[in-house]
Amino acid sequence: MAPPPPHRPYKRPAISDQQRRRDLALQAQSARRADAQARARSLANSLLSPSSAAADTAVE
Amino acid sequence: VASIEIPRREWQELIAKLLGNMTQQGAPAPLKQATLEALGYVCEEISPEHLEQDQVNAVLTAVVQGMNQTELSPEVRLAAVKALYNALDFAESNFANEMERNYIMKVICDTAVSKEVEIRQAAFECLVAIASTYYVHLDPYMQTIFNLTANAVKGDEEAVALQAIEFWSTICDEEIELQEEYEGSDDANSTVNYRFIEKALPSLVPMLLETLLKQEEDQDQDDNVWNISMSGGTCLGLIARTVGDAIVPLVMPFVEGNITKPDWHCREAATFAFGSILEGPSVEKLAPLVQAGFDFLLNTTKDPNSQVRDTTAWTLGRVFELLHSPASANPIITSANLTRIMTVLLESSKDVPNVAEKVCGAIYFLAQGYEDAESISSVLTPFLPNLIAALLSAADRADTTHFRLRASAYEALNEIVRVSNISETSGIIGQLLQEIMRRLNLTFDLHILSSGDKEKQSDLQALLCGVLQVIIQKLSSSDAKSIIAQTADQLMFLFLHVFACHSSTVHEEAMLAIGALAYATGTDFVKYMPEFFKYLEAGLQNYEEYQVCSISVGVVGDICRALEDKILPFCDGIMTVLLKDLSNSMLNRSVKPPIFSCFGDIALAIGDNFEKYLPYAMPMLQGAAELLAVLDHTDEDMVDYGNQLRRGIFEAYSGILQGIKGAKAQLMIPYASHLLQFTEAVYKDRSRDESVTKAAVAVLGDLADTLGSSSKDLFKSNLFHVEFLRECHDLDDEVRDTASWAQGMINQALVS
Repeated sequence: MAPPPPHRPYKRPAISDQQRRRDLALQAQSARRADAQARARSLANSLLSPSSAAADTAVE
Repeated sequence: VASIEIPRREWQELIAKLLGNMTQQGAPAPLKQATLEALGYVCEEISPEHLEQDQVNAVLTAVVQGMNQTELSPEVRLAAVKALYNALDFAESNFANEMERNYIMKVICDTAVSKEVEIRQAAFECLVAIASTYYVHLDPYMQTIFNLTANAVKGDEEAVALQAIEFWSTICDEEIELQEEYEGSDDANSTVNYRFIEKALPSLVPMLLETLLKQEEDQDQDDNVWNISMSGGTCLGLIARTVGDAIVPLVMPFVEGNITKPDWHCREAATFAFGSILEGPSVEKLAPLVQAGFDFLLNTTKDPNSQVRDTTAWTLGRVFELLHSPASANPIITSANLTRIMTVLLESSKDVPNVAEKVCGAIYFLAQGYEDAESISSVLTPFLPNLIAALLSAADRADTTHFRLRASAYEALNEIVRVSNISETSGIIGQLLQEIMRRLNLTFDLHILSSGDKEKQSDLQALLCGVLQVIIQKLSSSDAKSIIAQTADQLMFLFLHVFACHSSTVHEEAMLAIGALAYATGTDFVKYMPEFFKYLEAGLQNYEEYQVCSISVGVVGDICRALEDKILPFCDGIMTVLLKDLSNSMLNRSVKPPIFSCFGDIALAIGDNFEKYLPYAMPMLQGAAELLAVLDHTDEDMVDYGNQLRRGIFEAYSGILQGIKGAKAQLMIPYASHLLQFTEAVYKDRSRDESVTKAAVAVLGDLADTLGSSSKDLFKSNLFHVEFLRECHDLDDEVRDTASWAQGMINQALVS
């Protein structure tokens, strides 16, 4: 059994700003990843749609 | 030696030998003491599964005998109580047996009134440990324990009283956890919540309120101080979280009766009591009280006593943190009182360091209240220049002994930047960016004479990099992005300089800032890569400080999206380290799912150039998928981790499929069947969360999109997708849209 901590936090907020910075960076990264993948998927859609013959040619 | 050998079953006679010392007729007290200490150390070092039940029983018998009042040597009795503390984890089956439990509890309660203070303290430490480990068995003993703790808190030495209060704080911890765990659940098998706190409330609260009046002079200045008033207030806060509204009428008469008394102890205790109960009770119960006392609280920031001011500033921070909500019908902060609040906070930020630190905290939470509404945050705009100036000056004057003021000041600055209405404030934030860069530059010229100096330099650099990250992120999400483009060279110069300081905190903060910078600068970031790459590689290799590794993995994703195929020259190096990290059993497991997602980011950036990594990355993905099949579903943490891993694997497949799509799409055919099997297994697993569902259906669409007609037979022979996609129509918009898109892709493949 580990020895008890010297004392509980006193007049301290529960969450650190450093943790917030990490969490917000992580959120921003997954939002951008989702955007990047969504962009790739919408490109797929536009290539398949009948009106995108020009885009098709350009890609080829 | 025992900690190595007992787990390997190599020193089985040790316990019996030690116990022999205790049962020996006329064994001298020093031998018994040393034996009990040795038993205590052995129990501390090894796990319960390494001792047989008969060994545990024998240890407990010896320990309890040592605690008996007939044992004349106090040293032996103290060693016995301490040994019992360490042996408690082993006593699960003894606690399940009523007779044995009654006996152990009786001995501990008897020991809690021994005449030696150290023995009493150790006995209460045992009660604290029992409160957390054996809460479920405590009911029959609570009246006795209440009497013991009440006497200790009222009249015993502080060391004993602190443990007595800690007992109640621990009961609160347990009951809060039980409430959180079973909130809204009607699970009949849930662990019983005896609501000890609720039952003891009318006696417990007055007992704790009394402790608040026992402050020491200048107690807020030193982190190492822990006394009865601090412990009592902390316990009161936990009780408020446990019982909610019921605490309010028991505390308010104490607040009202003491808040205006001439003795500062009374005023501080009243404020501390009020601040402590702000979390737990409902807003409806608290808001009228806070509104009635708010002006008084603002005035108390001018109290002649600094401890009263400290607690007042802390209480204001708690009010803002817990009750300030601009969107509410009856907000605490209105346009009518905002100017006065700001004036008070700006003025108090010049107070002595410990008070100023709490004021910075109050500013932090005041700003945070405006987080979700940029339009409402406009109300802060007129105050921004003065707030920034006050916080910078608070950070400046923080002397070497009060690092926390500096940290609070910069962190409050971060929150102000985050919530600011950028269209109104980009000019001010741009100036702040210059000022923070100037300050970071100055840190390189600090005279470093000792490791303490080095640590202070690193801490300061970490804080400043944190502010820069927040500013970069804020500006890059707006029309003011050009400010970042203009300063990117200087920023990168500073970050690279910071990396030269070998501190994990600084490394992490600079990495986070660079990730934000890469996103803001886009393909222009490529010019920094030759110099930056070695630090990125070092970050990815830093498995010991896994937070650095984790942030670095995230930054690879940022850079992929910024550079797209320009990242190619660096990919061999990056992939090599990432693959090594995946195989590294010493790396914290939480980093592994993001590494898979990162494979997807790389593939999406470099397209079919990812081909060369397929033979390495794909077996890793398949191996992880197989690992998931044998995951322990009864462990909540493992279920969470399983979901993270699944999402990471799907994101990897999505990125790779989209990246490889086109001329080399056929390269993915050998992996398609395994991917579908894995997706089906995930579909059947009810523990998957919605983000996993979304990633899974997306991957189905990606597979059909990339392989086209080559996937037709696979989809025809694995029909689970029909039901899976249909079920998604009952889920949220994002999942439904993704499922519709995937359905479209599969339909195209099937008719092709």
